[in-house]
Amino acid sequence: MPKILAIEDDLDMLAALRMPLEANGYEMVAATTAEEGLQKIKEVEPDLIILDVMLETTTAGFQVSLQLRSPDPESEYAAYRYIPILMLTAIHTTTSLRFGPDEAYLPVDDFVDKPIDPDVLLKKVRTLIEQSQ
Amino acid sequence: MNLERILARLADGARQVLQADAAAVRLLDEGGAHLTVTAASGLPAALWQREPLAIKHSSLDGEALTGQPTIVADTRADPRAANVPEGYCSALCVPLMHEGDLIGTLHVYAAVPQRFDEEDVTLLMPLADVGAAAVAATRALIALEALEASKAHFIHVATHELRSPVTVAQSLVRSVLKGYAGALTDKQADVLGRISRRLNFLESLINDLLDLAAGKAPELAAEVEGLVLLNGSVGRTMLLLQPRAEEKGLDMTLQPCHDHLIVWGTEDGLDRIFVNLVSNAVKYTPSGGSVTVSVRQVDDQAQVEVTDTGIGIPEEALPHLFEEFYRAPNAKALGEVGTGLGLVIVKDLVNRYGGRIEMKSKVGQGSTFTVSFPTCNGER
Repeated sequence: MPKILAIEDDLDMLAALRMPLEANGYEMVAATTAEEGLQKIKEVEPDLIILDVMLETTTAGFQVSLQLRSPDPESEYAAYRYIPILMLTAIHTTTSLRFGPDEAYLPVDDFVDKPIDPDVLLKKVRTLIEQSQ
Repeated sequence: MNLERILARLADGARQVLQADAAAVRLLDEGGAHLTVTAASGLPAALWQREPLAIKHSSLDGEALTGQPTIVADTRADPRAANVPEGYCSALCVPLMHEGDLIGTLHVYAAVPQRFDEEDVTLLMPLADVGAAAVAATRALIALEALEASKAHFIHVATHELRSPVTVAQSLVRSVLKGYAGALTDKQADVLGRISRRLNFLESLINDLLDLAAGKAPELAAEVEGLVLLNGSVGRTMLLLQPRAEEKGLDMTLQPCHDHLIVWGTEDGLDRIFVNLVSNAVKYTPSGGSVTVSVRQVDDQAQVEVTDTGIGIPEEALPHLFEEFYRAPNAKALGEVGTGLGLVIVKDLVNRYGGRIEMKSKVGQGSTFTVSFPTCNGER
């Protein structure tokens, strides 16, 4: 069963993610802070990370992805660098058109707009996990 | 028009009208105890006293501020001339007053003594009155703009706080609606569908309010204004709305312009203008109709025209279209989600970028919205 780590500080949003994911055969583990998220990446070794931009600070989510994707070979997360990251954003639809995956700007693989459309979420989750295998 | 420019014109005007050698405007501070020279004409920079001056140390200003024009015939022999800049032998000082409020003083100076008389006072007073009125109006406008900006800030913060619970609630409802929390009865699905549509409306309203706030307070906008490519913005809009048009069975076409049209604004702001206009066209055009977006250059203007074959706008609704929360009766009756803020946002942004918006419409035949922006080729 593929494992997904959702790093999101809103418990209700975690519930909204959990329903479609579990109904489609994914195991979802939750973390509510950046620190807990980073720790669980090591413990759980997920197949995919769903990451909220805003956690305890407005950019804590960005910090998690930057730390995880650090090019430093000595990084403690070097082994987890290739886990795909799906970022949750609350940005207008038009803006997200230009908010594509950009290695130089933000090391994540794709974005999902809030509010979450479960079908869009599932499609992206499936694609990212397939691509990474 | 800003205050400094108005004051500079007032000083220039005073000097010209009296053919004097120099003129200066001194404005009262908030406490009413000090005056500061805020504009001057013909006065060498070295003689421009920039520090606030206590009224009690300037009997010339003190006298004028009682409402009495004051003439100093010879500064060398008059103790009131203590604060007349060096090198001038005569001075005339009149009050700047508007509706009984003292604003400051207007000075004119001449190098020769005995230069000013009562006739000069008669010439200068009307100018001082107009100047004072302009200063008062400009100050009122500045205060109004500050108020508008603080209102926008409040809306911005409040709606940000509102957005998160609405977004979460909508995400939960959607998951349940799709049956991911177990099978639903028809009745349950119907009720959840209604909740979801209400949340959708709330979300649009929140997003529009945020846009509106950003339009009124530029510091709330996501990007700094600069030169942007208009064609790119129209292209993104088409890409975003094409699926919605197809879903509705509309024929949506773009007549592109092959020249790069560079205008002043932000990408985000331009996107909002076109997304609002084109999504309105899609929204209010019945299935089988068409939406045409054409981009062209007309003289030094970049022009985008959005034409639809939709329900049109009744004549009596036209004057209200750009009012906050207004929706035309036939648009409301259609049952489409709308907040009545889209066109207000469009108009604010178009004005901000120095553009113009025009519309033509006939009920039952369709509408055309045309926006034009001055093209910028590297300069502004």
